[in-house]
Amino acid sequence: MGYATSRHIEGLPAPLQRVAGALVDWIPLAIVVVLWDLISGAVVATAILPAPGTVAGKIVELFVTGQVFSHLYISLFRVVVGLGLSIIAGILLGIGMARSDPVENFFDVFLAMTYPIPKTALVPLAILWLGVGTSTAILIVFLACLLPIVLNSYNAAGNVDQNLIWSAEMMGTEGRDVLLKVIFPATIPEILTGIRQAVPIAFVALVSAELIASNQGMGYLILTSGQIGNYPRMFANIVVISAVAFVAVRLFEEVRERWLVWT
Amino acid sequence: MDGRVSISELEKVYGEGAERTKAIEDLTFEVDGGEFASVVGPSGCGKSTLLYLIAGFLDVTSGTISVDGNPIQGPGTDRGVVFQNYALFPWRTVFENVTYGLEEDGVPKEERQSIAQQYIDMVDLSGFEDKYPKELSGGMKQRVALARTLAYEPKILLMDEPFGALDQPLRESLQDQLLDIWGDLEKTVVFITHDVEEAVYLSERVMIMTRHPGTKKTVSEINLDRSGSREEIVTSDAFADYKNTVWKSLHEETQTEVTL
Repeated sequence: MGYATSRHIEGLPAPLQRVAGALVDWIPLAIVVVLWDLISGAVVATAILPAPGTVAGKIVELFVTGQVFSHLYISLFRVVVGLGLSIIAGILLGIGMARSDPVENFFDVFLAMTYPIPKTALVPLAILWLGVGTSTAILIVFLACLLPIVLNSYNAAGNVDQNLIWSAEMMGTEGRDVLLKVIFPATIPEILTGIRQAVPIAFVALVSAELIASNQGMGYLILTSGQIGNYPRMFANIVVISAVAFVAVRLFEEVRERWLVWT
Repeated sequence: MDGRVSISELEKVYGEGAERTKAIEDLTFEVDGGEFASVVGPSGCGKSTLLYLIAGFLDVTSGTISVDGNPIQGPGTDRGVVFQNYALFPWRTVFENVTYGLEEDGVPKEERQSIAQQYIDMVDLSGFEDKYPKELSGGMKQRVALARTLAYEPKILLMDEPFGALDQPLRESLQDQLLDIWGDLEKTVVFITHDVEEAVYLSERVMIMTRHPGTKKTVSEINLDRSGSREEIVTSDAFADYKNTVWKSLHEETQTEVTL
């Protein structure tokens, strides 16, 4: 998990343990912010590295004036749609490849070929096909998220205990129902692992696409703030999208844990 | 009685060309409806293969397997397998595991629930309906697996070393539980094991298989007086005699294994 809520600190009453544990988790971030504050203005000019306080002020401003919301919404929309499509396609493809030789033979070579390509390198091509805007961002997010989901479901669906499949067959489950009633549920933990890997990748792909191919969204805000020399605002937007990605990962982990009570 | 299994001139070959191995050769055997028959043999003799062939999970290379005179075609709900590794659906609770076969059969919900409850009670798991398999011990999992298989009422139970992974006291209690259930429900049982004592204690007949390729070596009829307690049965002279006979026959096979 990485985020320990299980740290035990001697001599603290139980209710405070969780709070203390959470605080301990934030210490590294606090150190970075303090260093940042020390360096800014001392080692590096505030013009190119604004102090954390300045950036925090900008973040508040972005939300109070409301100018960030439309961009945040469109970015979230692109992530949700792109990731959603990659989940659907990834599961179908992964399970299909694991359980059908023709499907496997057909897609195997594509997987091997596309694996080493950074999906963000395809942005110019996507612009050519889809133009500047939401479709391009969604396509890039979709492509970037597809592989981890395909690979995880492919491996898991290929390793389902044969006795589970036989158990269902002896009780009358036939044909495609085996996929739906045994292979898919048995693969859910690994599918969720794939999605967990894909969530941060989705944000990386999103911002990369928006930096180049969008007139809206957080990536666009970051780029334009930089171009007009408003570096505090650029930093503020970077912090906002990072925080959103972090919250998305944590939320997903929370949901996964609740869903997987049986593992 | 229904549930007669007839195996005739069965042969099973795995692989092709240089990797071709014959797992079962010329095996003919009949299990009567309602009979409790065990199959023992050295490891690798194809006894699990035999069970999966009867279950219809694997295809025969030649020969036939029939249930009540009808050649089997793939898996069917007239036969139910209990696996050594339980093979419970981990994403389903105890109750949902037991109702699975009934759902597939289209039994209405309320009826499903009362049938499932009846079999959960039969294997002494009332109170555990809402647990997931991971929350259960091995013995409990195997009882769930048994209830799951019994619930859709197959005529024939095919058991693949079902108690092999459990410790001795637990094995014994599950063996007795199985005998009680067999006595009540009148099922045909084909029971695979490598444990001679288990085979003799449970069965009316024990088939000993040869080692590689597997085929029928001898069949021992076990006519034990089972009215007494376990202690009375296993300490009786008759039990010792049957055990010795089966053990000697099996031992000849394991001997050849050593000299190979």
